[in-house]
Amino acid sequence: MKPDKVTEEVVDEAFAKHKKVYPREVHGMFATFRLLGVVILLGGYYLVPWLQWDGHQAILFDLPARKFYIFSLTFWPQDFIYLAVLLIIAAFTLFFFTALAGRLWCGYACPQTVWTEVFLWIERKVEGSRNKQIKLDKSPLTKYKLSRKLIKHSLWILLSLWTGFTFVGYFTPILELGESFIQLTLGPWEFFWIFFYAFATYGNAGWMREQVCIYMCPYARFQSAMLDNDTLVISYDEKRGEPRGSRNKKTDLQSKGLGECVDCTLCVQVCPTGIDIREGMQYQCIGCASCVDVCNQVMDKMGYARNLVSYTTLNTIEGKKTRLLRPRIIIYFLLLVVISSALFYKMATRVPLELDIVRDRNALYRETNEGLIENIYVLKVINMDNITHQYKLSVTGVENMKVVQRKSTIIVSSGEMLDLPLSIQIDPADLDSASVSLVFKLVSMETPDVKVEEPGRFIGPLVR
Amino acid sequence: MHQDNENRDNNNNTETPVIQKVIAVLWPSFLTSGAASILFFAYFDPQLLMQVSGYGAISRMGGYTTGFFLFWLLTSLTCVMMCYFQRPCEKK
Repeated sequence: MKPDKVTEEVVDEAFAKHKKVYPREVHGMFATFRLLGVVILLGGYYLVPWLQWDGHQAILFDLPARKFYIFSLTFWPQDFIYLAVLLIIAAFTLFFFTALAGRLWCGYACPQTVWTEVFLWIERKVEGSRNKQIKLDKSPLTKYKLSRKLIKHSLWILLSLWTGFTFVGYFTPILELGESFIQLTLGPWEFFWIFFYAFATYGNAGWMREQVCIYMCPYARFQSAMLDNDTLVISYDEKRGEPRGSRNKKTDLQSKGLGECVDCTLCVQVCPTGIDIREGMQYQCIGCASCVDVCNQVMDKMGYARNLVSYTTLNTIEGKKTRLLRPRIIIYFLLLVVISSALFYKMATRVPLELDIVRDRNALYRETNEGLIENIYVLKVINMDNITHQYKLSVTGVENMKVVQRKSTIIVSSGEMLDLPLSIQIDPADLDSASVSLVFKLVSMETPDVKVEEPGRFIGPLVR
Repeated sequence: MHQDNENRDNNNNTETPVIQKVIAVLWPSFLTSGAASILFFAYFDPQLLMQVSGYGAISRMGGYTTGFFLFWLLTSLTCVMMCYFQRPCEKK
């Protein structure tokens, strides 16, 4: 019996570490900013897949067809570099804003925050305020409790399913997806991903919440590397606030020896990660500024100055000057400008035509009846433009070569790939080495700007 | 910053919360397998791979999904082994 009990205790302790956090509803400037973030980001997320452009979904990462549509642009797997650069830009933007103003991302824009906010809203609408929620959870299972919980979870699940559906709608055309969803003819993979993403949303925003930030988020762990003494952080003014204690509005602080913190604990009650900001900077703080909002309201009521808890910098707290422009800010900014301009330039000069040259794998070369050396190629022509093109092919590199093209015209419609078998014959007398470089050039006959050059090799017998 | 950490760990110094152990295996592997899938499938078309290896009936979406979960299986196995080897060798 004894060992069993020990294990039980350990397991209990391991779980007991987590207590449910009931964040109290908060109003104020920063709460409004967050609401704005929720409306813009989630509104965008749910609406964008329904937008149409030129007869196709405006933004569609069409995985089944391996094409990405972003308005009038079409991207191919060959354009992967743009995605990579875009991700690098996103990372530097994050570094820049973190160095400047701390965990702005976490507090206002992170999907975890944004969806949790909506889930909390539903929870409050169904179960009532923070105190009612705590009371309800402590109460024994009654009909009322069961109905509240059922309604809450049904609403959460509905929203999660809609979220999962929207998510898959970015990767397969959402209109067709909706049709097959209604007719219950969803493909197994679409079906699976809708439920997978819905489950993740329900789990993360409904159950995990602040634990995602504390245990799962890699950014939360390394963001401290980007902070310095001039970064905006949320902090409690200890000198002004302590000693804390309750009092009424007329109490003379000096005679009672009190600071300005009335110890109402509202800052703790509103905290989505359940910490007490008055204990100093903590890694769990996601910088949501709920405590700033609520404390300012209390300060207003008491007739004290605002910002007992506020956005400030470590330098300000220590009575030093805060510098906005410092090397790391300037470096992040310059990197952002350089990489963004490079991406913009590459996009503006992007040629919507790709030529891949594949050599015949069976034989390096072959001798024809006339004694010429022949190499076989397959040219893969990908038209990444929005219109059909007819192209003209030319090959340079050796004098007097014979290009035998099996198709007389090279016409490729928008978004298609054409396999173009080709043989090149050269008199061995014209070959000065066993391997010669050639240049394949493809020019559109409609718009001569659309052209591409690709190097290739011609292989012949060893020259003695 | 560390003060709070110590307060939390006062009553239990050695045990990591179960949730953190589960996350340590499933979560980093999820992230890396996501990245691996994006990189891999940007260069290789699953449909062509499937045809070459004789699984022609599986669609592209199926290919992506299977690929992702194979990556996740492998990376989470790595995480499990890492967690296992990280434990102290001698038990007191």
